[in-house]
Amino acid sequence: MPPNKSVRNGLQAHTTVREDVDVIVIGAGLAGLMAAVHAVNAGARVRLIAQGWGQQMVTPGWLSVCDRAEDDVIAEVRGYAALHPEHPYGRAGDDAMVAGLESFRSAAEAVGLPYAQRKKDGHNMRLITLLGGVQRAMIAPRGIAAGDLTDHHGPLLLVGFAGWRDFYAEMTAANLRRQGIDARALAVELPDQDRWWDLWPGDLARHFDAAPFREMIARQVAPHVAGVARVGFPAVLGMAEHPHVLDDLARQIGRPVFEIPTLPASTAGVRLTDRLRRWLLRQGARVQIGHPVVRGVVEGRRCTGVEVASLGHPTLFRADQFILATGGVYNGGIQTDESGRVWEPLFDLPVVTPEVESRADWYHDTLLIERGHPIHRQTGLRVSTDLLPLDAAGEPVLDNVYVAGQLLAGFNPLTDGCAEGIALATAYKAVHTALELDA
Amino acid sequence: METTSVDVLVIGGGATGAAALYDLARRGVKALLVEQNDLTTGTSGRYHGLLHSGGRYVISDFDTAVECITENTILRRIAPFAIEDTGGMFVATSQDPEDFPARWAAACTKAGIAAEKLTPDQARAIEPALTHDIAAAYRVPDASCDSFDLNHGFITAARTLGSDAWIYQRVTGFLRDGDAVVGAELVDTRTGEQRRVHAACVLNATGPWAGVVAGLLGLDVMIRLDRGSMVAMNIRWVNTIINRLRPPSDGDILVPVGTVCVLGTTSIRTEDPADKHVEVWEVSKILQEADPVVPGVRQGRALRAWAGVRPLYEPPAELAQLETGHDVSRRFAVIDHTERDGLRGFVTVVGGKLTTCRMMAEQAVDVVCQQLGVSARCTTADEPLPVPESSPRHYHQLSHRVDRQEHGALPGALICECEVVTQPQLEAHIASYGDQPVALDDLRRDLRLGMGPCQAGFCGYRAAAILQAAHQSTPEEATRALGDFVNERFRGVRSLLYGHQLRQFTLDELIYRRTLGLDALLDLDQPQAEEVRDAAE
Repeated sequence: MPPNKSVRNGLQAHTTVREDVDVIVIGAGLAGLMAAVHAVNAGARVRLIAQGWGQQMVTPGWLSVCDRAEDDVIAEVRGYAALHPEHPYGRAGDDAMVAGLESFRSAAEAVGLPYAQRKKDGHNMRLITLLGGVQRAMIAPRGIAAGDLTDHHGPLLLVGFAGWRDFYAEMTAANLRRQGIDARALAVELPDQDRWWDLWPGDLARHFDAAPFREMIARQVAPHVAGVARVGFPAVLGMAEHPHVLDDLARQIGRPVFEIPTLPASTAGVRLTDRLRRWLLRQGARVQIGHPVVRGVVEGRRCTGVEVASLGHPTLFRADQFILATGGVYNGGIQTDESGRVWEPLFDLPVVTPEVESRADWYHDTLLIERGHPIHRQTGLRVSTDLLPLDAAGEPVLDNVYVAGQLLAGFNPLTDGCAEGIALATAYKAVHTALELDA
Repeated sequence: METTSVDVLVIGGGATGAAALYDLARRGVKALLVEQNDLTTGTSGRYHGLLHSGGRYVISDFDTAVECITENTILRRIAPFAIEDTGGMFVATSQDPEDFPARWAAACTKAGIAAEKLTPDQARAIEPALTHDIAAAYRVPDASCDSFDLNHGFITAARTLGSDAWIYQRVTGFLRDGDAVVGAELVDTRTGEQRRVHAACVLNATGPWAGVVAGLLGLDVMIRLDRGSMVAMNIRWVNTIINRLRPPSDGDILVPVGTVCVLGTTSIRTEDPADKHVEVWEVSKILQEADPVVPGVRQGRALRAWAGVRPLYEPPAELAQLETGHDVSRRFAVIDHTERDGLRGFVTVVGGKLTTCRMMAEQAVDVVCQQLGVSARCTTADEPLPVPESSPRHYHQLSHRVDRQEHGALPGALICECEVVTQPQLEAHIASYGDQPVALDDLRRDLRLGMGPCQAGFCGYRAAAILQAAHQSTPEEATRALGDFVNERFRGVRSLLYGHQLRQFTLDELIYRRTLGLDALLDLDQPQAEEVRDAAE
């Protein structure tokens, strides 16, 4: 469709207008990507617009659904949602949560990146953190899930790379040992170490894609696996070839291997994002990263389009339905300033803000306090059970803008152990409501 | 107990003490400086970086203004390595008192401060970030001064001349012989080891601690402690020092320092010489005041905030005659306790500005030499300080480290990307502590680890693991060391957590909690975690 130039609704002159899709998804985090996947699967024409890739690029890679659950995770969430209808799980409903998780697994499988969970009991896995902590999470990429400590403690061999700055196997192993987990460390050498003074996890992962590099590493590890049940590496086991790298290393070493997430950027997130993006493009969806939406255009209670900053002049993209998945404080979906103002920048939607006197109380005095801080716990958008944004009186402000993911109020994504579960549940719910599909 | 003998003991490792040590050495007096922390960690280090032309004081305190321009000229000559000649500007907006600029310019002329009137267009041509609402603008010879480099220059030069400086030595008491002070007792604040130093004269150059130190002798030195906060923005919003052309008040200077721009300051009375805290309202006030002069700065990214305590000397009326009898400005004082309290061998210097540190040292050392019967005159203004070659000169200037790193002079894994600190540097530095305990926060101060935009989000974990490997410490110790460090960093930026820096710190908290699992590991050591949580709610 040729761009048509027009002036309307107070838009700047010479704004290019495009109206070629049914659904526009704003945001490329887990919620935005999965919303685009759902919409494509429902047969809709989809455009995904985002300033940058979302938080999956910096999170460890496992999916927290309800980390605190001691036994069946889904049952725990159902129970919680029933008692807390205002919580995003309560808003989305049980069915959306279950369907959202399931369709994520299918999508990941379809792009060749299987995720695993404890099918037999539905419990959380017990996974190893970078510092040697034990973290519960329900779903994880296959390589990370292979480190689940629930059924087997060890002995584990953790492999680090001498002189590499983002993984210190001895510290991880030592912290595991004091929790009763049999783990020891091995440092292997990287060739030409001097060149690699700023090697990022993704850089190292790409080296693992090459067979000679893997063989060089495997040769150093193999002599040390006697009496070892599993061998852990930092999460750098391949990028494009990741699934093959996992299997090939295990075969060469003669032991199952697993990954421990390391510092951002998250290789698990990069792998997933890259594959979902390619899949969306193959299905004919448009994916635009880099030129952000600068505002929504609203007539009455309907959003008619979003204005995108682009070279020369803004472009107006029109659609029938909009999924707002711009994230929270970290991602820029919520903005703050020095005066203590908290706002949603695209539609200026009503925002729940910390119930404190001033910005001075956004944080408590100690950082790693158990429930985190008011600025994260008490900030976000209130929504209806259809995920439409609400005003203070509880009335929907817009009729065709659905909110998903971390932008939602009612939880602390840093401490509550449910950030990914909420992203998946609400992305599913938002698209199914917007397109009036059966859940 | 170990005992040392020197001619003069200088207490205080700030700019005045260091300049005094150097001055004494040049007069042939063997001296020892002792400092309770590291050098330049008190008021001199917690400083905005402005080498005053004196313009800021011409109306409120003419004598200080004259001292500033005199010393500004001298320091440029003797310590060019510590000074960036940014030049300065005084700018009035239409909101500022209309009659002030003319009065101010006349006073500058009288004080000998070259104040060149600029048109608004000329001012903006020099500093395009300035507001369009310029009512008056003048150019003055302000400069940006690195107090760490300056201090280091004084100390290194004094050492070359046979004097010495000891750090982490706190004075716990004095040695007396009748009505004379003949030395001091020290304790090493890191090992607890005690020492005794005999000296014919002791110089108290302890800034905000002057009253506390004099109090050990039962002397009453009254100083008003005044905390001032500063905010460093992540870029050089200006390349020239910008002063608001109005009577001095909160938030009226912008100082380009290295890669950042320091905004200051506030003025709050405090009772604690170690008061370092910064309140949220102070940050807001500073940004609000700077914004009309450099529009947009309020929306900029603030990296760090810190506070220093100004020791303002207020002589009691009945003693004023005696104490200001040395022909010094009331802004600083040299107290000869022989005259005032009948106690020989003890001299206090207090008040003043970093810009006038050399002059304060000169006048204090004059009194000390008089007591010792030494007639040599001060020569510190006569020739340049030797450039401290063997030192980490310019180390804390980021551009210098980036240059070295890019040219291969800093090999090895880059641990702190923001501030360019490598693994070999960390390891060498940890080794330099020998058997002494070393915290990550020590490495931060020494190497600037974790001082950049990310505030240790990435390098904290790496450095903790490197420290653990070097010390063979237990995982409990290493985890706690990291926990202490990240909490310390948090306290440092807490008042700046909005906008960009809030987003950055949210990523840091995500790394600590989710990627590292640091919170859960710390809880393993803390059976009282329940109570902490309850207290928080």
